[in-house]
Amino acid sequence: MKKVVSEISGTVFSLPWLIAKDHGLFEAEGIEMEFVRARPSGVVPHTENPEEVNPVLGHVAFEEVRVSIYRA
Amino acid sequence: MVRPDSPHSYPGTLGNRPIAVQFHAGSHYVALRLLEGYLPKEKLKLVHYGSPQQRFEAMWHGAVDACLVMEPWIALGEKLGCKVLCEGHYLGAENASDDMDEATFAAINRAVGQAVDMLNADKRRYLHYLIDDPRHAAALAQYGGLTPDDFHLPRLRYVKATPYTDEIVEDTYHWMVRWGLISGAACATNLVDNRLPDVAVAPAGD
Repeated sequence: MKKVVSEISGTVFSLPWLIAKDHGLFEAEGIEMEFVRARPSGVVPHTENPEEVNPVLGHVAFEEVRVSIYRA
Repeated sequence: MVRPDSPHSYPGTLGNRPIAVQFHAGSHYVALRLLEGYLPKEKLKLVHYGSPQQRFEAMWHGAVDACLVMEPWIALGEKLGCKVLCEGHYLGAENASDDMDEATFAAINRAVGQAVDMLNADKRRYLHYLIDDPRHAAALAQYGGLTPDDFHLPRLRYVKATPYTDEIVEDTYHWMVRWGLISGAACATNLVDNRLPDVAVAPAGD
């Protein structure tokens, strides 16, 4: 089995991935899939300037090479 | 989306009114794409509020006039009587690291593609993932919670992974440059590795 770690952010965006894991579809393809939840933003400073917001957002795990795939 | 008692009934009256989004995410870009059809750029007042829950609650409690949210927050808002002023879809992207080999990427996409078929065959069966998500189930419960009957199923739109076309990349690039979301000096071909192995989009077993 090939181990893959994927980030999961909004559930609505990852719904097929959750279904695939729970129904053994990754395993059938020889993939051991592990999910890591994206870091929740929580309360953030409010701004009208996009340049004041880090575009990486919650995808920190990918930036830190702790996951190898994510969706956005 | 606006509150049930909001004076706004279409996007054209939202000029200079605060609208909650998450900058650099889908809610930000969809807001621009939808509202630029109704309002001049200088009247768009988007405010970064972070997560969908933060955006929804900013709208619900009156800190902003409107918010951009996705499911299950749309279903919750509609259940509470909120008004959807406009609605749009956008393409998601699977972003893989440089070291993911093609065979693994193809295997993942075959599995996800099968799940897409299962989901589209019976969306209602899988709504529990949205309703029971531990990250927001408690928050949904505070507003009365959701049941499968609260969802508009055609809104949940899932397709199998396919490569972005050059036309989509080009159009999106120019749109981002026009809105100042990317430098005009950037080159799309340097930013987007649009490869998707043929086997990734082939049906399993082929």
